[in-house]
Amino acid sequence: MASGKVYYPLYQLGNPHLRIFRPDFFMKLVRPGVPQPEDTVQFHISMRMTRLDVKNYLEKIYNVPVAAVRTRIQYGANNKRNYKRQKVKIPDYKVAYVQLGKGQTFEFPNLFPEKEEASEAGSIEDHYKQYMESERQRQTDDPRQGGVPSWFRF
Amino acid sequence: MAASRRWRLAWQGGCRLLHTEPSVAPQPPSSLYPPVVASHTAKSKSAKRRRLEYFYQRVHEAPSIEEKLRIYGCLQRLKYVVYPQTFSLNADRWYQSFTKTVFVPGLPPAGAEPAGPDLSELRSLACDALLQEHFYQHKRKRSLPYQEQEHIPAPFLTQLVSSLTAALGSHNPLLRVSCLDLKPQVNFYWERGETVVTRGYRTGRIDPVRFQIDDKPHVQLRVPKQLPEFVPLDYSVPGEVPVVNHTPDKLPMFKRQYDNKVFIGSKVADPCSYGHTQFHLIPDKLKRERLLKADLADQIEVVHRANGIASLFAWTAAQAMYQGFWCEADVTRPFVSQAVITDGKYFAFFCYQLNTLALTVKADQNNSRKNICWGTESKPLYEAVEGSNVKGFNDEILFQIVQFLLNRPEQL
Repeated sequence: MASGKVYYPLYQLGNPHLRIFRPDFFMKLVRPGVPQPEDTVQFHISMRMTRLDVKNYLEKIYNVPVAAVRTRIQYGANNKRNYKRQKVKIPDYKVAYVQLGKGQTFEFPNLFPEKEEASEAGSIEDHYKQYMESERQRQTDDPRQGGVPSWFRF
Repeated sequence: MAASRRWRLAWQGGCRLLHTEPSVAPQPPSSLYPPVVASHTAKSKSAKRRRLEYFYQRVHEAPSIEEKLRIYGCLQRLKYVVYPQTFSLNADRWYQSFTKTVFVPGLPPAGAEPAGPDLSELRSLACDALLQEHFYQHKRKRSLPYQEQEHIPAPFLTQLVSSLTAALGSHNPLLRVSCLDLKPQVNFYWERGETVVTRGYRTGRIDPVRFQIDDKPHVQLRVPKQLPEFVPLDYSVPGEVPVVNHTPDKLPMFKRQYDNKVFIGSKVADPCSYGHTQFHLIPDKLKRERLLKADLADQIEVVHRANGIASLFAWTAAQAMYQGFWCEADVTRPFVSQAVITDGKYFAFFCYQLNTLALTVKADQNNSRKNICWGTESKPLYEAVEGSNVKGFNDEILFQIVQFLLNRPEQL
């Protein structure tokens, strides 16, 4: 379970299990492009991980109950060309769909919510906001013109 | 010739021949042009509607049931393959939404209880079958991997069902004319909901979502007379059909294109065209011990429920199609079947009543009927088999199997 090419000792019945402390690859939780069911979480994982690795990773390190894992490899296209007319490959990556156990659900949060900043009365931001608001109102055309620009003349 | 020329001149004078009868003047045509209808081949909604109407008309006017089934399933397209015995999580909710089924825990309200047969005889039959497979018969010491269910529980179930059916023939005359199938095929093809085609030359067109079930119950009992209904056809069930707002791909479920088959276990001409009871065996990959080891204890009942709902829907709907009903010609009487799902030790009982076959978008617009599935939790038939003794035999499970087998229409 390393991100480079490693040869593991062959496992035979009765051998001690392979134990990895501090694995050197990582999982990235991503927002699904297509809506997923409530119990499904989508990750981008290393190309060398398997679904068993994903399950053990989440259960042992993060104590997340995992019911099922499905993986697929997303092929990155090789159509783009650079200034030398050489082909430029977009890297491939592996996607894991993890279904949480014990009835848990997960929804990817909105990372950039629009927030209304309430500025205190008398502060610099408040004066700035009021000034910008008044300038905007001065720049707009007279509503009695009905959307016709002011340079239009008969 | 001069004679014929003279005849023609006299004819042109307008004189009538003596032997003609006065004929009715021909009616003027109501319209000079043929009726104006939508195109048959255009890429438009009206053309699609016209093609659909033509298809429905062909199915309605089919001379026989076989011809009707052939026309119904002649067009092959990619469809979702629904497996009744599946490892997918929470599959029973998805299957309920595909088949418009309400799941009611427990069993349906029982009618008048008939005089029960002697349970001690039947208990001895069951224990004999159990001990034969577990103790008396010499079998391989270790069964092959993923074939443990075929080793002992499968022959036990076959023996149990056949011996109980034979013993109860005196109490239930329907069983004497029934047909016992071993590992029959049950198939059903239907459409539910609509989706937009995303890839291929048909991109952008609205298509119905197609499903196919190919089931292989372990043992099934087919009878020539239909079982009585549990509740009336338009009974309003306390419960809702779960609505799932995701495509079936997320279950996960995969698409394939092959024969659209509708089959109950025998062809249309067979006299035993109604279903009585199915017996299913849980496969090795979905056994109780494996699910407990994978920390999926809540999925044990889900596996039973999904199997019951999918298998029984396919069987009852195929029986309805064998009688000539289909999604545009909805059933006029409810179709009823029963199933027992077991893994050799734990038994779960399911009853299904098919009230509607109209699951397509067009037919489902004003359809308030829902299909109903009753089901119990799985309970053990025995605790353990020690040597030549069966420890902790549960009489209730045997009684329930006997009640299922004694189910018959009121006339008999």
